Amino acid sequence: MMRRWTFYIALVVCLGFFVGLKFGIHPPIPASVLMIYMVLATLGILLFVAANEERFAAFLEPLKSVFEGRAPKVVQVLVLVAIPLLAGWGTWLRTSPTWDAPFEPRVVHPEPPSTFNLHGFPTETAKLKNPLRGVDPAQLEKLTNEGKTIYYQNCFFCHGDALAGDGHFANAFSPIPANFRDVGTISMLQESFVFWRVATGGPGLPKGATPWISAMPVWQNLLTEEEIWKVILYIYEGSGSTPRTWDEEVSHAGH
Amino acid sequence: MRATNVLLLLVLLTSSAFAVDVKMEPVKPTPVTANTQLGKKLYDRYCSQCHGNEGKGDGPAAEFVYPRPRDFTMAIFKVRTTLSGQLPTDHDLFHLISEGLPGTSMPAWKKFLTVNERWQLVHHVKTFDSLGLFKEEPVKEQVVIDTAPKMTDALIAKGAGLYQQKKCGQCHGSQGRGDGASAAGMKDEWGELIRPVNFTKSWRFRGGDRIEDIYRTFTTGFNGTPMPSFVDAIPAADDRWALAAFVKSLARPQKNAQVLKASFVKGEIPVDPYAKEWEGAEFVDFPLAGQIIQEPRWFKPMHDVITARALYNDREIAFLLEWDDGIQGADSVTVQLPTTDTGNVKPYFLLGNKGHPVDLWQWSAKEGGSRMTATGAATPRELGNLIGEGGYKDGQYRVLLRRSLKGGENEVSFEPGKFTPIAFHLRDGDNGEEGMKMSLSTWYAVLPEPTMPLTVWLWPFGIGFLALGGEFWLLRRMRRKCRK
Repeated sequence: MMRRWTFYIALVVCLGFFVGLKFGIHPPIPASVLMIYMVLATLGILLFVAANEERFAAFLEPLKSVFEGRAPKVVQVLVLVAIPLLAGWGTWLRTSPTWDAPFEPRVVHPEPPSTFNLHGFPTETAKLKNPLRGVDPAQLEKLTNEGKTIYYQNCFFCHGDALAGDGHFANAFSPIPANFRDVGTISMLQESFVFWRVATGGPGLPKGATPWISAMPVWQNLLTEEEIWKVILYIYEGSGSTPRTWDEEVSHAGH
Repeated sequence: MRATNVLLLLVLLTSSAFAVDVKMEPVKPTPVTANTQLGKKLYDRYCSQCHGNEGKGDGPAAEFVYPRPRDFTMAIFKVRTTLSGQLPTDHDLFHLISEGLPGTSMPAWKKFLTVNERWQLVHHVKTFDSLGLFKEEPVKEQVVIDTAPKMTDALIAKGAGLYQQKKCGQCHGSQGRGDGASAAGMKDEWGELIRPVNFTKSWRFRGGDRIEDIYRTFTTGFNGTPMPSFVDAIPAADDRWALAAFVKSLARPQKNAQVLKASFVKGEIPVDPYAKEWEGAEFVDFPLAGQIIQEPRWFKPMHDVITARALYNDREIAFLLEWDDGIQGADSVTVQLPTTDTGNVKPYFLLGNKGHPVDLWQWSAKEGGSRMTATGAATPRELGNLIGEGGYKDGQYRVLLRRSLKGGENEVSFEPGKFTPIAFHLRDGDNGEEGMKMSLSTWYAVLPEPTMPLTVWLWPFGIGFLALGGEFWLLRRMRRKCRK
């Protein structure tokens, strides 16, 4: 009895897969991946249907009834018109020209150069160390607080009140400002890297990172070396993260 | 000053509490008790940078944001469910902290702080009340905000009538762009510059842009600002809902995109910025930020968005730029383009850099069209065949900049199907903006959209007909088999 519905059940299962894949997964999967899954799902359904001769015959029955002229006239016309239209529409979706913005490859945390110019002097990136760490806790708190003031007079417009990259200027920029609360930003970077990014800004990025895309100012033009280190103290403290270090000892000394 | 405020408060309290159609209910109880230590700790960490250690609105960031952070010592709050002049309820403060104030630097703290933490901040903020008002005369009743009526055309039309009749346009302008006759020179309770909100910018409604939020604002007013409660002027709640519906109908969110598409027009591009063809052209809102890289750094720009459209024909390309400005002043706008095709490497987004110059098309209300070229710093250049024209009407500037498609020396050529980087600078004359004191965007792209060649239809129709052919072949075959 169920058998006569085979075709429609197959159709519903297929659509169910589509709806589930398209709307049930967050974040959404890319269209090309969706396509692969749908091809696999359709093949699976067809294989299942074709595995049993009787079932396969039942599956083909509604189609046969249309092509052999046994189905009601209205259904025949509807199906025969819909198939070419769907085929044409599907092709249009694949071949019609679209005008998306040119793709700009971008490295999120590019390799810093081995040396860069800091206030006119070549500086080795790897040797940079935050000179403000390692002081006594009271002193560290004071310096961090000074960093907080610098942050709220220079950085928070873009990087946000809660350091989440969502300041009141943030939506004017693409890519959006870094979210320091995100585990993929400063908490996976060493302080030397952060110093280099802050001091040289967007223009300091290497060629491979498409330098002019970042709106990050060259902060060494506006802040002293010590001020930059203070801000770095604050963005780690304020976002509740710790800098990445190579050395166990240093990471303990930091906090 | 303070004594007069208290007096004013009392007068307002007694005058507006009766006589009008406002449904009231008892204030809901506060669900969380104060933990003084935690409240202070949280306040120092998350709020003091703007609102100051003593709640005077004078933290280190205060000078760098517009509008200025709230001074809590006078216990005056805008977004409330209480009658005009009254204190807010605890739930009002909780709502305010949770949702933030759109169009300001006050974020929605619900993203970062737990419910308990936000309640602790409510308790702490109340401790700054220097007049002791929260203790002495806590508010007992709050306005009931009913379910909003359906937004119908009739309701909106009724609201539009009330908008006229009650002279909302006196401050907010005839088109709601905040450009009324009284808009200039307005001050708030603290003597700070304040501007009537632009009703077309839904993202700037301080109390939120839902129709219920707008209704609440009409009913309660914004204490400390020139925005009064309208319960006396518009006693019927139905009328206030109609007005809220009308204001809501003016508002729209931003429509952002990476690419500004220029459509092809046959014949001439309209030179009148109000021409019908321009209304039909696709627009993009480009958000702007203050220029804080080069001295003089500009932290408090007035303009937050510029709306652009573009059209081209076989000879020319034209850009129509629009921005709202409640107070006309003498504004100026710049379109920044690279001088040559740049491939993947664009010039620095702020005035280019060595080896990568930019072409600056400018229009200013004072001097009309002009042109500069820049490699870090700008120098004037000949206008060439660039034409810049613009004007101001109903709280909005409209500027048309056009040039030949094909570029000459040190000019980029526009071609159908080719993306050209484009950026914008905007200066609000009335806010003292000029030169580098401006708001700006980073690079976007402009694309003269190629006209659709007929060949794009080839594949879809081909496949469609193929399917049709296949069907009929199958049909004939199967029906013949059947007959046999």
